[in-house]
Amino acid sequence: MILTRTVERLTPWLVPIAILLGWQAAAATGLVSTRFMPAPSDVVAAGWRAGASGELWTNLWVSFARAATGFLIGGSIGFALGLANGLSQLSERLTDTTLQMVRNIPHLSLIPLVILWFGIDEGAKLFLVAIGVFFPIYANTLHGIRSVDPQLVEMGRVYGMSRTSLFTRVVLPGALPSIFVGLRYALGIMWLTLIVAETISASSGLGYMAMQAREFMLVDVVVLAIVIYAGLGKAADAVTRLLERRFLAWNPAYRNA
Amino acid sequence: MIATALRLHDAITIPARERPARESPARENPALRSARAEPARNAGGIGITVRDLTKSFDSPAVIAGLDLHVPAGQFVAIVGRSGCGKSTLLRLILGLETPTAGRIDLESASARLPPKRIMFQEPRLLPWARVVDNVAVGLGETGTKAERRVRAQAALAEVGLTEKAANWPATLSGGQRQRVALARALVSRPGLLALDEPLGALDALTRIDMQAMIERIWRAQGFTAILVTHDVAEAVAMADRILVVEAGRIALDVKVEVPRPRRRGDADLAALEGRILDHLLGERAPA
Repeated sequence: MILTRTVERLTPWLVPIAILLGWQAAAATGLVSTRFMPAPSDVVAAGWRAGASGELWTNLWVSFARAATGFLIGGSIGFALGLANGLSQLSERLTDTTLQMVRNIPHLSLIPLVILWFGIDEGAKLFLVAIGVFFPIYANTLHGIRSVDPQLVEMGRVYGMSRTSLFTRVVLPGALPSIFVGLRYALGIMWLTLIVAETISASSGLGYMAMQAREFMLVDVVVLAIVIYAGLGKAADAVTRLLERRFLAWNPAYRNA
Repeated sequence: MIATALRLHDAITIPARERPARESPARENPALRSARAEPARNAGGIGITVRDLTKSFDSPAVIAGLDLHVPAGQFVAIVGRSGCGKSTLLRLILGLETPTAGRIDLESASARLPPKRIMFQEPRLLPWARVVDNVAVGLGETGTKAERRVRAQAALAEVGLTEKAANWPATLSGGQRQRVALARALVSRPGLLALDEPLGALDALTRIDMQAMIERIWRAQGFTAILVTHDVAEAVAMADRILVVEAGRIALDVKVEVPRPRRRGDADLAALEGRILDHLLGERAPA
């Protein structure tokens, strides 16, 4: 019984481990040139060196701060507009068409313009991240509020809830599952945007670290950066899952997710 | 912003450690005891007088010049075919719709009119609030959190769901959910309870249990009850008086004289049911 459970828990990791072992073997036997693809052990060594010199932590922190700031700015505006347009017809009629038009522009296509406006300063990166996370949060908040069960809203009214408690006790909790979907999308877009922006124009951060390494042909550092991105994405996803399990515990779909 | 949303949401769910279930009486604080000591006495039922009531959304009128008097504390059942205006009449009496013409007067023996409550066809529980908090919704915004809890617990006890207080509504059966909705409707000691086909979606046995439960609580509390239903047998079993609504008017107004507790399958009840059904079906027969 315990044995089967351990096997079950290890199964998802079999393929990654096999790939790593094969990769290491291929590099060691010279099947793959380490000039193009470093052995896993080299990547670990590069991580150790960058960590020891402090360079890794500085860059990691810079990137994280950018991501978080951009996310907070874009996410708050998106959330606020989503609420406003979900609750007020006037606000929706006024802004929704414009927002839908802007939404169809790939935000990364703004990079040249953004560089002209902000140079390669922090502003450029924050702006791109904010724009990127704005739309998923906006669209899903709006959709969430729209899809709140009107029967529950009527019940709240009949039972004498004030407008404030109708919002905090019925509308917002009802919209929350959809808002979380937006949050997940936004976190993915946040990393994507930041990495692209840092790769193109930056003087610090993980993307910068990778580009710098490319100039000196430090393939191990380039791969290290990519592995770190994967880890950060996984971490963001894990945090969302945790929040969902905490705040959507009432929903059978999330209870054991 | 997101964090704010999460906090607001948090404020309405109960963290596990605060769950009210099974407190030992010794640890009760005085505030709770005083709330519990509050008598279960009812302010009395609401009497309803409807004069020349008309309601039209588009022509023709759904309710057309209807007159009705319901004395305080009576259990009235309204039956009729779909679209006859019975639900609209109920909503008008509750003040959920405004009359096109005519008037509705509500009066009660107490100085302030006690609350009016409705039980819908669906339970309409908030899925993100635990059972006890769903019941507390019926109290509106009155009282401290602890008082509200205690009163909600008492109402849950009345419908026999004390042990489900800390559950999520999703974990309950259909009948249990409707009992929670009943507790929510009753927790504020209403003077008028409107029942808009609340048992329609339940299975036959659960229905009979619920009917008995509603009847028992009505007898104990003395509110005025208005039951809208398709089911004539249900109307006959529960009500003091049955109104048949046709084309926006009261077509038949009969008293049910059979004493309570009523036995299912009673001959008098069956005869009355037959009479009302004949009336309803006769209406459809080609002239």
